[in-house]
Amino acid sequence: MSNPFTLNGGTVLSMKGKNCVVILCDTRLGSQYETVSTSFPKIFKMNPRVFFGLAGLASDVITLHHKLRFHVNLFQLKQERSMPPHVFSKLVSTTLYEKRFGSFFAQPIIAGLHDDGSPFISSMDSIGATTEPEDFVVAGTGADYVTGACEKYWEKDMEPRQLLKVADKCLQAGVNRDAFSGWGGVAYLITPEGVEKFDLKMRQD
Amino acid sequence: MFKSFVLPGKEHPVKFDEEIAYTETSKDTPPVDGLVQPAPGRLHRLHGTTTLGFVFQHGVLIAVDSRSTMGQYISSQTVKKVIEITPRLLGTMAGGAADCDYWERRLARRVRLRELESKEEVTVAAASRMLANMLYYYKGMGLSVGTMVAGFDASGPHLYYVDNDGVRYHNDRFSVGSGSTYAYAILDQEYRYDLSVEEAVTLGRRAIYHATHRDAMSGGFINVYLMTEDGWQRYPTKDCYVEHYGEEEPFLE
Amino acid sequence: MYTLEKKLLEEPKKTSFTYSERNAHLLASSKDLKKTFLKTGTTIVGMIFKDGVVLAADTRSTVDKIVADKNCEKLHFISENIYCAGAGVAADTEHITEMVSSRLSLHSLRSGEHPRVVSAMTMLKDHLFKHMGYLTAALILGGVDATGPHLYSVWPHGSVDCLPYLTMGSGSVAAMSFLEARYEDGLEEEAAIGLIGDAIEAGILNDLGSGSNVDIVVIKKDGTRMMRNVRKTGTISGDDE
Repeated sequence: MSNPFTLNGGTVLSMKGKNCVVILCDTRLGSQYETVSTSFPKIFKMNPRVFFGLAGLASDVITLHHKLRFHVNLFQLKQERSMPPHVFSKLVSTTLYEKRFGSFFAQPIIAGLHDDGSPFISSMDSIGATTEPEDFVVAGTGADYVTGACEKYWEKDMEPRQLLKVADKCLQAGVNRDAFSGWGGVAYLITPEGVEKFDLKMRQD
Repeated sequence: MFKSFVLPGKEHPVKFDEEIAYTETSKDTPPVDGLVQPAPGRLHRLHGTTTLGFVFQHGVLIAVDSRSTMGQYISSQTVKKVIEITPRLLGTMAGGAADCDYWERRLARRVRLRELESKEEVTVAAASRMLANMLYYYKGMGLSVGTMVAGFDASGPHLYYVDNDGVRYHNDRFSVGSGSTYAYAILDQEYRYDLSVEEAVTLGRRAIYHATHRDAMSGGFINVYLMTEDGWQRYPTKDCYVEHYGEEEPFLE
Repeated sequence: MYTLEKKLLEEPKKTSFTYSERNAHLLASSKDLKKTFLKTGTTIVGMIFKDGVVLAADTRSTVDKIVADKNCEKLHFISENIYCAGAGVAADTEHITEMVSSRLSLHSLRSGEHPRVVSAMTMLKDHLFKHMGYLTAALILGGVDATGPHLYSVWPHGSVDCLPYLTMGSGSVAAMSFLEARYEDGLEEEAAIGLIGDAIEAGILNDLGSGSNVDIVVIKKDGTRMMRNVRKTGTISGDDE
């Protein structure tokens, strides 16, 4: 039996900038070494200010997304307000820990903006141990390589365009060293003005 | 001559090879159920590959990718997987890089010595048989070689497939490696004996490109060699990115 | 109805063992799986001094051999007068201390009294014992309540030690060497902070699982003082993180 975390492949990255945040992922869906699809995005928009990236076993990525979508929608209906990013992060964490001894095989990343425009990022392991760093978060099969690139190129208080450029460069540098990730990418740039979506041009091998 | 190649002084050379190739020395990964757990890539580089070759009216065409992986890590995108044995003999590389490299270089030496001795060109059939015999001697001892021997001799163009089991097949087309099934799909569909040189080169590149797209262990650049009566010639290497998008990969500054 | 389904419907909110057997099988057949949890290869220390209790920890968290977070918080809030330092699987230490914190505040609201360290300790050990060591949390619990200063260490299987000075985690041996050499009863606050800082520093420098900075919390009768990154031992100089 192969490792469920690396069966389908995929990498997700999020970076903080000055009053902005970017979250990006590759779009490969594989079965071991065979690339099955090149249009499998791993980032989901939970509400206008909160984005959610999931790397790991594809079936758990989908299941977990639907499970959380249900809770977020219910929150919206009951409270008539959008769920703030740090609350969503906590929701993901407890949802994962509920299955402490039979965990989902997926690692989540949360990116969003608070009401005051300050950026929020967090990442978790598959049982919900949260980290909320200053700079960037990475998850997935290419995480080790992407982390190395981010460590070198990330700077404090980057402007939106520069942030997107740096994040794109770091993701591609890492992903091109990982056989299980790549084949295209998607990026969301979140600023107080709104959200922009970008398709990343990537190697197709 | 064979005996100069040293085997480990163990009762089971294969077991020894498996131990150092597949087991992590760290104590936190004990064997499960007494079986050695494979951790591919610690010793054997280049397990995934796509290579192909076919005989057509103008000679033999060889096309290969250039990726080398160690497990899921891509350790190189610029590997030369065609080995130039003599001006009229080529070998390809699939399986273990070191094994292919060593045994085909050794084949080159033996072919050259034989030619000096007999003052005659060694045929493709003879050369591929030499390689197959060498590999058969070490059969079951852990070598990993999947190669095509392509050449042109007095009887025309020839293509042989030789691997570490010691088998040797003769046919008009072969594809070897983890991406071979994908390459065959294109190759079998569009192969004809009366292809023009230009068509053959395009077909070779296209088959490799499609294999690199589907197979995570193949990729990088596409190298093409054409073997004619006058010997082999190498075509300009082509990035898979260029093959897909029709433009150079931009440098991300 | 099928028992498993029924069970799932009846208790969806509890920590679930549902897939534990499947996972045990997967763990046995895939050696990498175990390593994907975030862990705190850690040095944590607790000490009683003249006016109360002092706890300290390093700030490194790891996944396998990658440093996942260079400045994480291992000193967990239980209540105003009680803190808990955690080592082991990060999700376990975080969620257990959080659960005890919330239960303890409900408890003190109902009883109208300030929370006591023994109550927290009992909740922790009961929870860990119930899970038979499958929750990987090694904790040092310290605080000051109506009955004075208290310090406990709680082990993953649910056993408890009560001593004037304690260390836990992968760097515990390095840290203990300092405490054994220099600890004495009734230390002054400054001396206690100095000693506990040295002990964590020993863990940071000598244990590969521990690293980065030193966090200290001082709990006294008249208040609690949380100090993040008191020393930046394992941070590259000039780096402003």
